[in-house]
Amino acid sequence: MALSRRDFMKLVGVSIASLAVTHCRPPISTCYAPLPPSLEPTEPVTARGRLQKAWLSFDALAQATLDAGSQGTTENTFGQNLVAGHRLALDELLVTGELTTTVADLVQEAYEAAVYHVWRSNTPMTCYEPAMINYSPTSAEILVQQAQVLDELAEQGTIDPDALDKARTALEHDLAFYALTDEEVDALYESIVNDWQTLGQSMPGFEDLALEVPPEAEEAANFILVLLSSR
Amino acid sequence: MNVPPPRLTSLIFEVTQACNHACLHCYNVWKGPQDKPYPGGLLDTRRTLELLSKALDETICSHVTLTGGEPLLRPDLDEILRFLHARHTQVTVISNGRLLAPQKVLALIQQGVNLFELPLLSHRREIHDELSGSPGAWDAVLSALANIRLQRGQVVVSFVATRKNIEHLGETLRLAFAFGARGVMFNRFNPGGNGRTHLEALLPTVEQVRSALAVAEAATQELHIPISCSIPIQPCLVDYALYPHLSFGFCAAGSERAYYTLDPLGNLRPCNHTNLILGNLFDEPFGVLTAPERMAAFTCATPPFCSNCSLRLECQGGCKAAAQVCYGSLTTEEPFLRQGQETAIKIKPATTTAIPINLGG
Repeated sequence: MALSRRDFMKLVGVSIASLAVTHCRPPISTCYAPLPPSLEPTEPVTARGRLQKAWLSFDALAQATLDAGSQGTTENTFGQNLVAGHRLALDELLVTGELTTTVADLVQEAYEAAVYHVWRSNTPMTCYEPAMINYSPTSAEILVQQAQVLDELAEQGTIDPDALDKARTALEHDLAFYALTDEEVDALYESIVNDWQTLGQSMPGFEDLALEVPPEAEEAANFILVLLSSR
Repeated sequence: MNVPPPRLTSLIFEVTQACNHACLHCYNVWKGPQDKPYPGGLLDTRRTLELLSKALDETICSHVTLTGGEPLLRPDLDEILRFLHARHTQVTVISNGRLLAPQKVLALIQQGVNLFELPLLSHRREIHDELSGSPGAWDAVLSALANIRLQRGQVVVSFVATRKNIEHLGETLRLAFAFGARGVMFNRFNPGGNGRTHLEALLPTVEQVRSALAVAEAATQELHIPISCSIPIQPCLVDYALYPHLSFGFCAAGSERAYYTLDPLGNLRPCNHTNLILGNLFDEPFGVLTAPERMAAFTCATPPFCSNCSLRLECQGGCKAAAQVCYGSLTTEEPFLRQGQETAIKIKPATTTAIPINLGG
């Protein structure tokens, strides 16, 4: 599959942002576990440190977006500041020759896509746009309540039995997750936390993506991964 | 000077004007009485993909909403979806659910449809079917909801509040919740298209809307389902503070969050409720069509009733597209405001200087 460099970098950015923020749908659809809290380092001195912090700020961006939304605004001031700071830090690496302009631009592209994705996933709706959906799985309590309401409606006898059966089956699928034992859930959490911390299995290796990626885009993507894994 | 491409939250594409329902409240601009008929027809697949490619190339936009008519009636919908998938565009499909059989739902999800938006107009079959103008519509949409959930898709439900169904909101919300809707759009009836011919029969009173919002407020707390009031409801008619768990939206025309609408022929409009054509995307770039001077007549319009209101820049008088299609003017009071203005709450007068209205050139 041929991908443009820009599109590829946007995918990288959005994937990382989705992993980092539980409000977004993670790339692995069966991943129901929360991700570990992001580190809260003191203000880094180096450009690389500031870049790393920028890439670890998606939880804060999500919260800032939600807070702004609750106050009736959809401004993305926090995100714009993050983007601006990220660009400044990249420019420092350009000056020192650690990055080429092409690669720096691609990294910035990925970051802007990630910031936009997190903002878009958390900001409230405007006219004729659906309220943003929290893609994290519905809680067990909600699913139980759903089943109870469905049963009540079923007893009225007006809904097509086939539609009811399918709705019940869908609920059972979701409830199956909550039927896991504590040990199974713990093991799953541990596995996902480990994957996240090592950035190994959660993010597919770039060689595994079977994409025709230009070398500059691969270099930019690897730069982001190295940045994130060097805490 | 290089002008950056417009950044859009979403682009609406009306893939077809054909529909298999005949909703009484339908706002499609090509329906209902027309002084000058809205352009009809369809581009072939190649030209349609060229159109979408141009739209995406000329904007920064990662989300497209496919609507109609009924989008599933378009024979080459799969090709459109494959194209959008290849462009890594998130896709929402607005459908009446009639054609969303299990395999079709699965195929759409696999082709990258992230979200479905389906109508659920009542917990009573006969009311939903009457408003849809189509027997069997209620059973079809419930089946579609179940199919989407079964395939682990995401679906939000749209409740169009009319005089005929507004008192059913509570039970309908429970039905939507039971069928796994991840959100509900409470859209008070916004006359346009065919809906204009049923304006008096369908337009709810302000008092009915206030009561319905109280029901929605209670339901969102009980069921933990987000409810958004997507069609603008003027804050002088409804006190938002009484409904702290509901989301209220205003017209976003002209902003990043505008929902510019492309019709099947490439004509671009400021939103899907207005028949105002900014131009054809094949003739001019997106940025030119949506330049402030081209949009000014739309974005700057507010009705006289709002001239002294401090919230007029946010609220803009509600849905100016409805004012335009119902009364022929963007700057008159839209039907819901016109009906309810005598009961309006006093909003403190504006203290800022009025923004001069540039009607473009």
